[in-house]
Amino acid sequence: MRISSIVAGASAAMVVLQAAYCATRGETFLLRPPGAHGESDFSAHCIKCGACMQACPYLAIRPAGSDVGMAVGTPIVDARSQACRLCEDFPCVAACPTGALRDIDERSDVRMGVAVIDEDACIAFQGMRCEVCYRVCPLIDKAIAIDYRLREGDAIHSVFAPVIDEKQCVGCGLCVERCVVSEPEVPIRIATDAERADGGEA
Amino acid sequence: MDISRRGFVKATAVALASAAAAGTMSSLMGCSSGNATAGAAGEGQKYTAVCRFCGCGCGVICEVKDNKLISVTGDPDNQSNRGLNCVKGYYLAKILYGEDRLTVPLIRDDSSTKGTDEGLREATWDEALELVSSKLKETWKNDKNRLAFWGSGQQPITEGYCTAKFWKAGLLSNNIDPNARLCMASAVVGFMNVFQTDEPAGCYEDFDNADVFVTWGANMAEAHPMLYSRLTARKLSGEGVRHYDLGTIKTRTSESADKTMLFKPNTDLAIANCIANYLVQNKLYDEAFVNDHLQFKQGTENIGNATDDGYDASDVGKTVDDVAPITFDEFAARLAPYTFEYTSELSGVPVEDLEELAKVFADKDAKVMSLWTMGVNQHNRGTWMNHNLYNIHLLSGKIAKPGCGPFSLTGQPSACGTAREVGTFSHRLPADLVVKNPQHRRYTEAIWDLPEGYLDEIQKPGMHTVKIFREMSKGNLGFLWTAHNNWAQSMPNLTRFLGKGEDNQGIFDTFIVVNEVYPTMSTKYADVVFPVALWVEREGQFGNAERRSSVFEKAVDPPGEAKWDLWAIMEVARRVLDGEQIDGEDAFDHLFGFIYDKDAADFKGDDRETNRAIWEEYRIFSNPSMNEKAKAINDNADGTFEGKLKMEAKQLAPYDEYLAHHGLTWPVREVDGTWLPTKWRFSNGAQEDGFDEVGVAQYGTPGLANDVSFYKSAKSKPSVVFRPYEPPAETPDSEFPFYFVTGRLLEHWHTGTMTRRIPELDRALPEALLNMSQEDCTALGVKDGDMVKVTSRFGEFDIKVSTAGRTQPPAGTVFAPFFAEETLINLAVQDTYCPLSKEPDYKKTCVSIAKIEG
Repeated sequence: MRISSIVAGASAAMVVLQAAYCATRGETFLLRPPGAHGESDFSAHCIKCGACMQACPYLAIRPAGSDVGMAVGTPIVDARSQACRLCEDFPCVAACPTGALRDIDERSDVRMGVAVIDEDACIAFQGMRCEVCYRVCPLIDKAIAIDYRLREGDAIHSVFAPVIDEKQCVGCGLCVERCVVSEPEVPIRIATDAERADGGEA
Repeated sequence: MDISRRGFVKATAVALASAAAAGTMSSLMGCSSGNATAGAAGEGQKYTAVCRFCGCGCGVICEVKDNKLISVTGDPDNQSNRGLNCVKGYYLAKILYGEDRLTVPLIRDDSSTKGTDEGLREATWDEALELVSSKLKETWKNDKNRLAFWGSGQQPITEGYCTAKFWKAGLLSNNIDPNARLCMASAVVGFMNVFQTDEPAGCYEDFDNADVFVTWGANMAEAHPMLYSRLTARKLSGEGVRHYDLGTIKTRTSESADKTMLFKPNTDLAIANCIANYLVQNKLYDEAFVNDHLQFKQGTENIGNATDDGYDASDVGKTVDDVAPITFDEFAARLAPYTFEYTSELSGVPVEDLEELAKVFADKDAKVMSLWTMGVNQHNRGTWMNHNLYNIHLLSGKIAKPGCGPFSLTGQPSACGTAREVGTFSHRLPADLVVKNPQHRRYTEAIWDLPEGYLDEIQKPGMHTVKIFREMSKGNLGFLWTAHNNWAQSMPNLTRFLGKGEDNQGIFDTFIVVNEVYPTMSTKYADVVFPVALWVEREGQFGNAERRSSVFEKAVDPPGEAKWDLWAIMEVARRVLDGEQIDGEDAFDHLFGFIYDKDAADFKGDDRETNRAIWEEYRIFSNPSMNEKAKAINDNADGTFEGKLKMEAKQLAPYDEYLAHHGLTWPVREVDGTWLPTKWRFSNGAQEDGFDEVGVAQYGTPGLANDVSFYKSAKSKPSVVFRPYEPPAETPDSEFPFYFVTGRLLEHWHTGTMTRRIPELDRALPEALLNMSQEDCTALGVKDGDMVKVTSRFGEFDIKVSTAGRTQPPAGTVFAPFFAEETLINLAVQDTYCPLSKEPDYKKTCVSIAKIEG
């Protein structure tokens, strides 16, 4: 803790610079660990100390690569590789020395983002019985529910359409990690809150 | 969440385009792991097939280019799935192309290496076949009781037929049983006890016409994905269609049901009796139906539990099949204790819910479909529970008419077609015949061209599945051959059967032959592994839950030196039977000379010709007029036997009819030169509309109540047998305070040997988790993601806890799937079985759970 605090102080100037940079470079698309409060707040606090990465039992939190400019080294979650598993005790948040990750008492406090489904590419919307995203969701029947719809031109089959509840989805990304479809791209992704506020693709 | 009426999915060009793209996408991914040059769909040769996985029996089209599957897509002409698949079927092509396909025979020289990844070396087919044949012959000649074949509800029909013929007629052994013993045996014994004929009266079309669905211990949403799509479609398209889900845990099926009733284990017996009692006490049963069609019985009760090896031979064990006639009034008196109040107290289901369900069956107009699978069958009173379900449908006359009926779902693609219809069981002969019945033996001898009395040597049933493995564990089995299953993962009580303890080391001494396509838990214990063709690498047939027999065509060659299972069986059979004679002729030629040239060591024809020839012989069993001797026995022409066999009740069509029609539901009837399927057995009506016109005309009586005639049942009357509530084999106590339930989940099929080699499915569900209630977790100080040790009286395993809620057991019950070999849950599962069906109870092992620290 002590060492972290010192590092935090020493990095303060850097953090300010970084926050300004992020605002212009679209780091709003980076999926942050639980407890981040928007990109500018996060950037203002994160000192790239790696404590959250070390604390994550699933190795879900990694340093951002050099392709994200000034955000290089900040903690991100690549949901397709390893999603956040929403640990009940949130060790990443507990480990954060600067409060870049904070204020998480329970899973529903997490706001990493919201899952978005490309209905044209999702095979469940074509009538296949997939819905992997739904069954793996840690907030099953809340964040993702099934909307049963009759299939067009077929009276004997339903479409089991996975539907996201934007208010309840916390953006952990497990649905993205587990989705069976890869090509041309994964039909489910996490739109970060920051991105959505930005009017991004979501 | 309730299903309410919602609008159609919009038919947009985008949706259609993306559907087409999916097929292509699947094709590209399918071949990417098969090292084929990618080709777009639409370029290759097409073959029709049936999905390799569950009992739904979805039709698929295989597209092949350069001897590689380039796509597998739903068959739009298949009237059941209409081009759709679940996610397993969507990636079906990839099961052929896992990196570790077995392509060379393997031999284990040192049996002490069993259970490890080491010890198997490559061999030639000749060496492997000689070794297996000499071991089988040696065991056979020394002590026939020490050999066994363990088959499968995944074995294609003609292969199962030839295996049974080799074992029963060639070796004169009844030690052959299928893995269907683990899933369908209770259903079969139920059918045979009640109707004297196996398999449902109804069909999948019932889903489209039902008013009420009742699922009993069945997680259809995951285990029967496309049929569940059909159930939910009916709810969306019909007015006021309801679904009641009854079970001991809340599942994905409960989620879409209108009402879920969670009952305490085994009280399903009481709930069904409670419904029957309500119908009888209030005279709300179908009186005309009861008078015309039913007889009443009761059987042996207080039957204890088949946990110990000596159960079958015990005083009570020997009497479990006994029944005696009772009057309707006596039956009513037996039901009388099952009041709503008593049943509610016993089951934990509120009185008003029980009453609501009972009124469903009392509603004369309601078309009700009961659906069940493993919760009912894998039950220490599984046969009884099958009885009790038929009882309520028979009392209410809700059977054998469109939209209405008790429907036993199957778990494997050919549990019905092969295990049950061919009869690869220790007590059976083909087409519902049993070894203990002399008329059945004579009939079989006629078709197999055996001297009269030849099969009398096998009139006593052989070892059922659990007995085979128990005897093996005790060192009483010299030779075991298994195919199309993975017993070292799927059997219960693996701690015992895999020789993990101090005792029961028999597995290391038994010579074990495993037909396989990939390394599995079972190949780790094999002395010889035969690399075999998988699915469409040869032609075969499956028979699904609605009595539909379908052909899957050969689409590609097996890889490397892998061979059709049937070739390996023929090659062993010709060696073992060398020097034996039947009726003065070489025994092998007598049995299999019609398909196999033993000097050439090959089939006489190609896959199609071989299958057709076997089918045409098998088909005689249900077409007695094809064989004069068989016909005389079927008709009881000389009065030797009690009556007619009525074998046409399961009539099958010529082989090519199945190819032309993408499958047909039996009995298939020839009317004016056209072969017509039957959708509703015993139900009188036009054959061309799917009713059993021909069967009722031949053996039944038209004009009875509901215009149904149960012509295959004794006295044409199904038996309503009173079966009481009796408790589970174990109940939770302070040492083992939880019930442990096992089962299947959508992404993986059975032991995962195929689906886990599909990268997309492995990604979707990479590990087996223990579903626990939050309440139990809190009490144990365990949280989501913690590792725990689960311990029973039988064994233990480690597993990660999940509270996410995919399956939601109530406090005191936990659930885990069995697909993951690294999480070998069957180490701890009891091998206690239903005393009547000998099917193990995988749903109620009592366990303790302790957190693994660190």
